[in-house]
Amino acid sequence: MTEKKIRVLVAKPGLDGHDRGAKVIAYSLRDAGFEVIYSGLRQTTDSIIRAAIQEDVDVVGLSILSGAHLTLTRRVAEGLKAQGADEVVLLVGGVIPDEDIPTLREIGVKEIFTSGTSVNQVVESIKKHVHHNSPKEAGQ
Amino acid sequence: MSDQYEKIRKKRQKWQEKTVKKALERFPYLKEAPSRFYTPLDTPDFDFLTQVGFPGEYPFTASIYPFDPRAGTAKLAARSKAGSGLTRASGYSGYGTPEDTRDYYKQNIERGGRQGPNLAMDLVTQCGYDSDNPLMAGEVGKVGVAIDTLRDMEIIYEPYQGELNLDRIASNFTINGPAIYLIAMYAALAENRGIPLDKLQATPQNDILKEYIARGAYIFPPKPAMRLFRDTLVFINQHMPRMNITSMGGYHIREAGATRIQDLAFSMAIACAYIQTGIDTGLEVDAFAPRFTFNAMGGSMEFLQEIAFQRAARRMYARILKERYGAKNPRSMLLREQMTAHIGPSSTTKQRPLNNLTRAVLGAVAGTLSGGPPSAFPPYDEPLGLGWSREAQQLSQDVSRILTCEAKLLEVEDPFAGSYCMEAMTDEIEKEAWAELKKLDKMGGIVAAIEKGYVQREVTRSAYDHQKKIANGDVQIVGVNCFTGEHELEVQTTRLVPHPYDPDRRARAEERQIASLKEVKKNRDNKDVKKLLTELKQQALQEEVNLVHHLIVCAKAYVTLQEVCDVFRDVFGEYDPPSIF
Repeated sequence: MTEKKIRVLVAKPGLDGHDRGAKVIAYSLRDAGFEVIYSGLRQTTDSIIRAAIQEDVDVVGLSILSGAHLTLTRRVAEGLKAQGADEVVLLVGGVIPDEDIPTLREIGVKEIFTSGTSVNQVVESIKKHVHHNSPKEAGQ
Repeated sequence: MSDQYEKIRKKRQKWQEKTVKKALERFPYLKEAPSRFYTPLDTPDFDFLTQVGFPGEYPFTASIYPFDPRAGTAKLAARSKAGSGLTRASGYSGYGTPEDTRDYYKQNIERGGRQGPNLAMDLVTQCGYDSDNPLMAGEVGKVGVAIDTLRDMEIIYEPYQGELNLDRIASNFTINGPAIYLIAMYAALAENRGIPLDKLQATPQNDILKEYIARGAYIFPPKPAMRLFRDTLVFINQHMPRMNITSMGGYHIREAGATRIQDLAFSMAIACAYIQTGIDTGLEVDAFAPRFTFNAMGGSMEFLQEIAFQRAARRMYARILKERYGAKNPRSMLLREQMTAHIGPSSTTKQRPLNNLTRAVLGAVAGTLSGGPPSAFPPYDEPLGLGWSREAQQLSQDVSRILTCEAKLLEVEDPFAGSYCMEAMTDEIEKEAWAELKKLDKMGGIVAAIEKGYVQREVTRSAYDHQKKIANGDVQIVGVNCFTGEHELEVQTTRLVPHPYDPDRRARAEERQIASLKEVKKNRDNKDVKKLLTELKQQALQEEVNLVHHLIVCAKAYVTLQEVCDVFRDVFGEYDPPSIF
């Protein structure tokens, strides 16, 4: 039996065009053996939620460097919940001031990755959270 | 000479076999010397007049100017009231609503500031939308000021009257996708104040091509976007002779992950596309090229290479203008930048952030050694959040002052000129960039290469390669992937001076801007707006029509930015980027 690949949606919500990080993460996660879908720029939160559900992803990673992270993340988290997809692991990366991290956690974000995070940390964190959600696969 | 070279060659071989080899025996883990020594053999064809020349003269390798006036006036500047006389443009700024930004500039003026606004605009504006568009919630007034209509420009410029009126100050606008309408708004503002357009001084970024490669604030596909560029070029050329046409940015491309060579080659290819656009309208290159400028190019910690890069870039741009486009006016050939070598924001780290000041100082020194002002850019708290603290900005500014007044680094132009190492590196960078530029020529130029997705993929690949090198330790970043042991002290800083932008105002900026846009829409002649938009569409459909004239009329009627851009979206379509995989 082969382990089902973890599916990750890397998404750029809002207007922020700084996509170096998102693209590098998308490439890196693909190399780490995940199925990666990259949303491209300027996605509405609705289209991100729709893509997450249609693509049946385990993880949604939002990349935001524009300061709009609270509004946008809250919308995605609420949308996923409303669609019954609250088991999807929500991650946020980008320029996130330390003082906003507790709020993001309250919203339901599992991990917040700011500048200087290694790709390996992201990979390990995804494995940890996804396997935590599906205990049957743990230890495989 | 060849006798001399032969002697050096023999001597170098002997040095390798004896001195170097003997030293290597003491370090068994080294297979070869980890450093390099340059000799005249590395620059065998070096000709001073062809490759360097004099500062301010072709090919401008040493500098685009014969000297830096700041070297002599530093003492004066230090005594001046504002104390900041080492910089010309005011700092990149724009907060929340036009009212908030106006108040910021008012304070600046009260403190003795005499520079015009250097406007940062929010992403809603940069992407051609209005503040009341429900999809924009959360973005209005973030990372810059919201501009929807001419009313907003009127508010921002309220403090600029009398001896600081529009004919006395210079403005900067970081705007690309909808630059044509912002230029039209500025023209409308001036005309409404009775100021002739030929008195206006401003620099719009107006560099749409790099938006497809970096930054991502594009709206329309590249071809119609180039038509809008053409219209601005022709209009500015005819009516606003003191205004720059474009301020191109290689540094954005570098920040997006491009290598040094890609930064140079893609920037030059972009410049070629804009120049060709001007020539295709029937203009002589010397009629407009003197008002092409660069925001900045370069940006990395590699000190010597970044100095060489600036020298190579100046020479390459001059050669392109002279040899490719037949420019005769030396001013056309100047690669004008607001700063030369610097470290680039992506070199800064969130870990032990004061190290960023050390890094920025190195960049500033490289700046002075590469024909530019010392720019300790960015302020050290760049990665700590959005917006720099006053403390960090003060320290950055003091770096420039210390390097100028105390270290006297501006007193010699291009001190590395003639250095075997520097000349060899400069030649190598220019040679490789020409090879990449010619590759782009074969693809049909940068616009075609962007349409194919070639440039975007190349930059993404470079960014990914770099990240892999950070992961495996080939690229070392102190405090991030090395020297992170438990005995290191994680030095933190405190920033106590309050940010000029009041957090309560910031929190309500979006709501206030939406209300004020509603008011404008209510009070304008909406019938007229509808008529103007219909006419705009007709004009947009005719490729040969210059749209700026009509857009000035639209601006005066308070047509919104999104109303204009929606007409263009309808006629031109929207840019759909290629897949990254």
